[in-house]
Amino acid sequence: METRKILITGGDGYLGLALAKRTLQSTEENLLLWVRASDPEEFAAKQERIRQRLGVEADRVFCRWGNLVNPDPFDTIDPAEIKVIIHSAAVTRFNVDETTARRVNVEGTEKLLRLASQCPFLERFALLSTVYSSGLKPGPIEEEAMDNRAGFANYYEWSKWASENLLLTEFADLPWQIFRVATVIADNEEGTVTQQNAFHNTLKLFYYGLLSLIPGKTETPLYFITGEFAANAIFSLLSTSLKKSIYHIAHTKEESLSLGTLIDLVFETYGERPEFKMRRVLKPLYSDAESFDLLAQGVNTFGAGILNQSVSSVAPFSKQLFIQKEVQNRNLVSALDDYQAPDARRLVRNACDYLVRTKWGRELQHASR
Amino acid sequence: MKEAYVNHLSFALGDRVATVEESAESGRTLSRAASLREAGFRMHYLSAPEDTAYDLARRSVEEIKKELGEIGAIIYSTCIPANGNVGDEKKFRESRDVKYLMDFAGSHLQSDFGLEKAMVIGLTQQACTGMLGALRIAKMFLATEGEIRRVLCVTADRFPEGALYEQAYNLISDGAAACVVSDEPEGFRMVAGHGITNGAMALASDDETVGSYFGYSHRIIQETLAKAGLQLSDIAWIVPQNTNIKASQILSRLLKFDHERFYYPTIEEVGHMISGDNIVNLRRLVEDGKVRPGERVLLFMAGYGLNWQCVILEKR
Repeated sequence: METRKILITGGDGYLGLALAKRTLQSTEENLLLWVRASDPEEFAAKQERIRQRLGVEADRVFCRWGNLVNPDPFDTIDPAEIKVIIHSAAVTRFNVDETTARRVNVEGTEKLLRLASQCPFLERFALLSTVYSSGLKPGPIEEEAMDNRAGFANYYEWSKWASENLLLTEFADLPWQIFRVATVIADNEEGTVTQQNAFHNTLKLFYYGLLSLIPGKTETPLYFITGEFAANAIFSLLSTSLKKSIYHIAHTKEESLSLGTLIDLVFETYGERPEFKMRRVLKPLYSDAESFDLLAQGVNTFGAGILNQSVSSVAPFSKQLFIQKEVQNRNLVSALDDYQAPDARRLVRNACDYLVRTKWGRELQHASR
Repeated sequence: MKEAYVNHLSFALGDRVATVEESAESGRTLSRAASLREAGFRMHYLSAPEDTAYDLARRSVEEIKKELGEIGAIIYSTCIPANGNVGDEKKFRESRDVKYLMDFAGSHLQSDFGLEKAMVIGLTQQACTGMLGALRIAKMFLATEGEIRRVLCVTADRFPEGALYEQAYNLISDGAAACVVSDEPEGFRMVAGHGITNGAMALASDDETVGSYFGYSHRIIQETLAKAGLQLSDIAWIVPQNTNIKASQILSRLLKFDHERFYYPTIEEVGHMISGDNIVNLRRLVEDGKVRPGERVLLFMAGYGLNWQCVILEKR
């Protein structure tokens, strides 16, 4: 059996764990999952959770821990035992501050790239990024290196661009691949949601009638995928596609929904529930970015309720909701034999239904229909 | 239809004044003083312990008593329903006679000001929107009851001793406001009025109240304009309630209406005087010489219930 391992950073994160599971299901590979932990106790707890999630295959899984902001977070890893690196560890909050984004996402990536440079048997280095590393650039977003001239909506986007740039300029000799992932809104097309983000927070505010504004333009396309699609696509691309290539793990504009269609669909789905219909919650008004910033400032003034937390998580992304991006995925489609975009409407409907049914994950006994 | 005109605007505030810092320190607010200041509030008024909401109502009418004329109806509005009743709970307990629970403030007002021909209507289900509701009902009276030519509209609220003086993140003042709606062409002509109630949100939380604010405020304004056959460009001033200045800034942007023409300069000094905000701000608009004859002023208000009301006036 092959003894060299696939290293996945952020191995207990949403995509890291999904990729680990996918790899264990389809290969005989051994995995080395690196997780962020501050001390052995936290590591032990995370390791236990990983073993529970991966089940019987867990005997092929080894875990290490560290912190990307520390000087040498990978010092427990022997470069000679690594054949593939998948870098999924990152702070992915839109409201991450500049220092944290730089230290974790950019400098952390650099530390891993240095480790990669020392791996004598390295076959692949996969950097998980985002389609929003294109920042505020409108128009076609190609699967190629990008500049930073359009600026960014937040430090998360900037840090992912900077990580890509670091790889492409200073570590270009590595057998790299960049996977720019779209927004994951559900685990699968049935709409199961186990990881929530700003998208789900916003839907929650709408459902409970806590938000009557949405920044953006109705025609702005939104790029959604499932976790299953992301894991399957990245897994396939790692083993079959070209090195030194960029792939958008995303569907095209034509296969996606616009903001206006999304809002209509969400309220249509909610409206099928008598308890929602009865409350006569209005669809949100479309606002400019400045108005939404004012709202964020206003709710921030008054404590730390759900409204404040949720609005704060969405506000740093608001500028994107005005940008007409046309995400391209030709590399992805040509590399995947079985590429298929889901029915975006059905996906959103199913995700909304799941969120409402489980009260945003608080009542998982209602997860099954 | 017979025209109705709003005139003789007056108000009265509680006797005690407190800064936001003093009230925050005294536990009368949920939010920090700095947050309330950032929202535009600086001070507010509280009634003396012995004073009732009715005392405030009396004082607000006292100021315009020479202008009352032959009042055919009194519409007495309160946000807190109990403020419309000056009954004696203790006497009821002692006697078990419910008549002590039915001592109506509007009746006292009629008597105290000698308004013998006035019928009395109590309005207790419209919360902060009560005064705008009173104006609309007054107009209906003028249109349908030929003998009624002047209606006294009053709103009065004082919070019970020990109550929080913050509601939905707004700093509250105890106060009353009054005005006369008549068929005499003076003051402001009532152009249109409109109301929305969403009873399913009768017990909305503070966050739900804030959450529904923009959508429904926008809707009530647009629907009222449509009812009047007007565009927002036909409106010279919007007189809102005294709520977080950021809320007014946002709403002005949503409406694409210059925030400079949202007139609510009293927010700093009187805070949110419940249903009286529009009257206090409208009076200031007149006193400051801002509004010119022929200009239209749109008043709107959101309140518990949940209620939204809007009235468009035209300066004579």
